[in-house]
This record gives sequence, structure tokens and C-alpha cells, in this order.
Amino acid sequence: MKKFFLSIALVLLNCISLFAEDKIEVFPSVRYEQFIVYQNLVIFWIAIIGLIIIIRMKLREIERIQKMGINKEEKDIPLLD
Amino acid sequence: MKINYSLITRRTFLNTLFGGWVFAMLSGSIYALLKFAFPTLGKEPDFVVLNANDFLNIPPNSVKPFAWGGKLGFFFKKEDGVITALKGVCTHMECNVTYKPEQKKFYCACHKGWFDEDGKNIEGPPPKPLEFFDIKVEKEKLVVARKGFTFELPKA
Amino acid sequence: MLLPERGSRLSCQRLKNWIEERYDFEGIKRLAAQKVIPVHRYEIWYYTGGIAMFLFILQFITGMVLSMYYIPHLEHAHKSIIEIVTKLNMGWFFRSVHHWGAQLAIIFVFIHVFSTLLLKAYRKPRELTWVTGFVLLVISIFFGLSGYLLLWDERAFAAVRVATGGAGNLPLVGGFIKAFLRGGIDVTGETLTRFYAFHVAILPIITIFLIGIHLMLVQMQGMSVPVSIEKKPHKTTPFFPNMLYKDLMVWLVMLGIMVSLAVFFPPEIGKKADTLAPPPENIKPEWYFLFLFQTLKLFPGEILGMNGETIAIVLISLGVLFFFLIPFFDRKSSRGEPSPVFTWIGIIYTLYFVVMTVIGFLT
Repeated sequence: MKKFFLSIALVLLNCISLFAEDKIEVFPSVRYEQFIVYQNLVIFWIAIIGLIIIIRMKLREIERIQKMGINKEEKDIPLLD
Repeated sequence: MKINYSLITRRTFLNTLFGGWVFAMLSGSIYALLKFAFPTLGKEPDFVVLNANDFLNIPPNSVKPFAWGGKLGFFFKKEDGVITALKGVCTHMECNVTYKPEQKKFYCACHKGWFDEDGKNIEGPPPKPLEFFDIKVEKEKLVVARKGFTFELPKA
Repeated sequence: MLLPERGSRLSCQRLKNWIEERYDFEGIKRLAAQKVIPVHRYEIWYYTGGIAMFLFILQFITGMVLSMYYIPHLEHAHKSIIEIVTKLNMGWFFRSVHHWGAQLAIIFVFIHVFSTLLLKAYRKPRELTWVTGFVLLVISIFFGLSGYLLLWDERAFAAVRVATGGAGNLPLVGGFIKAFLRGGIDVTGETLTRFYAFHVAILPIITIFLIGIHLMLVQMQGMSVPVSIEKKPHKTTPFFPNMLYKDLMVWLVMLGIMVSLAVFFPPEIGKKADTLAPPPENIKPEWYFLFLFQTLKLFPGEILGMNGETIAIVLISLGVLFFFLIPFFDRKSSRGEPSPVFTWIGIIYTLYFVVMTVIGFLT
């Protein structure tokens, strides 16, 4: 008996959408296209994270050689007169 | 065989990796942007569907324009009642042509080019004839298609 | 610079040689090498300005491609956006990115403003940086408002009516500003065209100009260091390339966040605006105006026989004006001394904005 009333209630609830106006599709509704969108999002994030890792590698290398003092001028370096 | 020196420097390796990755990401993004900015460059439809009633009843020896993608199309009923359709675009520099019923010729005002009622270029600079389409009338619908385009609409 | 053997010379090296044989960049290179960023426990706030600028650049790009299809006429505006979103390749995506880019840009402009307020980066000698920055804040908000109207749906229409009406209540200049913004007495198609002109032409030019000045001032004077840290010895790190790479990483994360938001929460398109219809239920302005409207709600209709709303607006205007002129009021900071009074003023401003915005959101 409870199940019967529950199913009626659900049907009636879904009927509310009949009164809704045409909702404008701001996102592809086709499953296939949605799949492509999410797939591309994942690829994009992988690319971003990959680039961040590469930049970190570059940064570490730069800090390594900066620590070695490549920037500082040697004090007693002979001048070319 | 292991070599005890590196073929490329650390710097070159990192810079190439960085540059290549940035280039790949940038070109991908720019491609997406350009696809949006230039959506259907020059693409014409394979066929268009028109309302038969709007076109079939035009007087003989006259044309009625319709949209062929973004370009001009003419539904053409000759003097003897034969119906056909063609692209109303001059083959010289793509100006729109007009139909002159008194002379039964198509005229392009841009460089004074003339085509006869079968589209053949007869005078002026146009190098090729006008492009004609295949037409089919199905109940209420007039289907205008590229010549040779065989796949037709299923019952809509 | 290690050069590979002649046979395998990189094209990058050849490009560098081509440039160096023609142009002398030594001066600029030396200047660039001297540019340093202080390292201390508040350094994370240094990123906020760059993030705001990056987001603005993205807005310019997505805005430019969107403006190729948008039609700024009251009959066609709404439809043109529907066309963009439903008919064009990835149209929905670029519109969604533009929407979220706008939200994030304004959020980070506010974060940038409040962090410079609390860290007192506005103090001498950086007063003009604050002044240009404040104008840029106002422009950003106006960017948001003008862009929002272009959708020409019920919400946007009602929101702009309320916002321009509110501006009209400013003392003295109110009526003039309201007529200027609306292009007439009421919000009409003229308003749409005018807001479009602001959004795609007038504001961008002014923004580029002001950002140019703002950035130039920062280059000339370097990054501000909080008073408590300034006098003590502190480390610095070179901007080129260290800080630039760090900036880049942060910007990449922002890009990822923005794109994700755009994909998961694309903005809706409401019904086309009807100039004669009443506003929809529970109409609320965009979130960056909420604090203003919450404040207005605090004031009763009448105070001591005077119009409550006018008093509220006068007080708000004074509050904003004081905010704008803070560098000139905060004497102690300009002398490089700790200024706890203004720290509290800054905290109050920040908390007020945040709390009022949140309350406006929840009610």
C-alpha cells in the first residue's frame, strides 16, 4: 500500500516539469557529447598538472645553480684594462 | 652500451620539455578558440528543405530566392513550366546575380557578366556556368540538394 | 650559453642571434635582473594582483570571440546568446568560461584590494598605486554590471534597474549618473546599447590604460613589505625567472579551476526581459552588490524625519570615500610606523564586506 502511494506521489512530482517552459540547453544534452566534454576536461587537467611539474623541475634546477653562486660577481676578478 | 656523458644538457632538456609542452597547450587552446571564432568557414549545406507551397506556384519565367546556407539560391520556373534550382552566385567574383525575364538571362552587375537560362556563361568575365541543384518535391516539402547528393531525409 | 655543434644549432639560438644583432636589450636585461621579490611570511598575497590581471586577460580573449556573435539590440540580444549557446561549436563553453572568469576576476580583485589594505601596501610612497587600484576596482564592478545586463533576461533587467536606481539616490550627482547610465529615464534598449559600448569599448580602453600605470608604478617602486618586516633583514628572490615561474604555476591552477567551474556549472539563461512586467520573485543583485543592499536594509524608512534611504546612501558614500583616501589619512603608516588604528579599520572594512555579502546571500 505504501509503495502504491509513493509511486503516485513520484508520478505527480514529475508532472511538475510539464509546466516548466522550454529550458534552454546551456550544456550539451547528448550523452556522447557530454562524454567528450568530460574527457577533454581530464586531458586538460593532465596537461596543466604536467606543465606545473615541468615548471617545478625548471625552478628546482634554477635554484640549484643560483645557490652555486652563478649570479654573484667574483670580487677579485681581473679587469681587462 | 652505456655512455658516461649526457647527449644533451639538463638545461636543454628542461627548456625543450617546457617549450614543447607550452606550445602544445597553447596551440590546442588557440585551435578551440579559432574553431569558435570561425565556425563554418565557407561550408555550404548539402541540401535545404523548403516549403513546397511557397515556391511551386510562382509565375513561369520567374525566380524566387531562398537561402542556400549563407548564399543566394534561386528557385527557377522557366517559361515552359520546367522547375529547377540554382545557386545565384556569379562564378567570377561571387556577386549575386539577378534574373532578367525579358531576355531570359541571368545578369551579374559587378562586371556585367551574362548567363543564359541554363546557366551557361555567355558574356563578360564569368569563367564557368552557374551551379544548378537537384530538386525533389515530397508532399509538402521541396528538397533542394547539391548535384549528386544521394542521401535523402528520412520521414521527419 | 652552451652552443650545440654547428650542425645541430637550435632554432631558438638562431632566433636569439637574429634579435641580438639588431637590438640592444642590455639595459632592459640588467634592470630585469635587478627586480627582486621579498621573501617573508606574507608573500603569498603578492600573487593576488597577478592572478587578477591574468583573469582579466582571459576575459578580454573570451569576450572578443563572444562579441563576434552577440547582437546588442533589445530585440536580438537574448536570442543571439541562445544561438551562441545552442548552435555554435563550444559556444556554451566560451560563454560559461566568460561568466566564471568574470566571477573569479572580481573575487580576486577584492582579495587583492583587501590584502593590500590589511598589509598597508597603500602607504607612502605607494599612494597613487592605491588610487589607480581603487578606480580599477570600480571599473571591474562596472564591467560586471554592464556584462550582466547584456543577457537581457528578467533577472539582469531587474537587477540593472535596481542598481542604476540606487545610483540615482546619490546626493547631488545621483540624478545625472542615473540618466547617464540608463541613457534615459528608464532602463530600455538604449541602456543595453550604452552598456554594450561601456563593456566592449570604453571600459577596456580605460582599464588597459590604468593597469599600465598601476603596473608601471609597481615596477618603479618594487613590492611593498609590511611595516613589521621592513626594517628587519629579509631575503629576496629574483623575479626573472623564479617568481615568474611561480606566478605561471598559480595562473595555470586558476585556469584549470575556471575551466572546471565552466564545465560543471554553466550559467542559466532566463526568460527574455519584458520592460512592462514586474520583476521576478526574490530578485537579488549580483553578489558583489549584496553588501550595499544589505546595508540599505539596515536603515529604517525614516530617521528623525529624514528619508532613511538617503541617509544610508550618504553614509555609504562617505565610507567608500574614506576607503579611497585611506593612504592620505593613515599618517603613521606613511612614516613607516605601526598603525594599529588603521589595522582595525582595515579589519572592520574587510569583515563588514564579507559578512554583509554572506548575509545577503543567505537571506
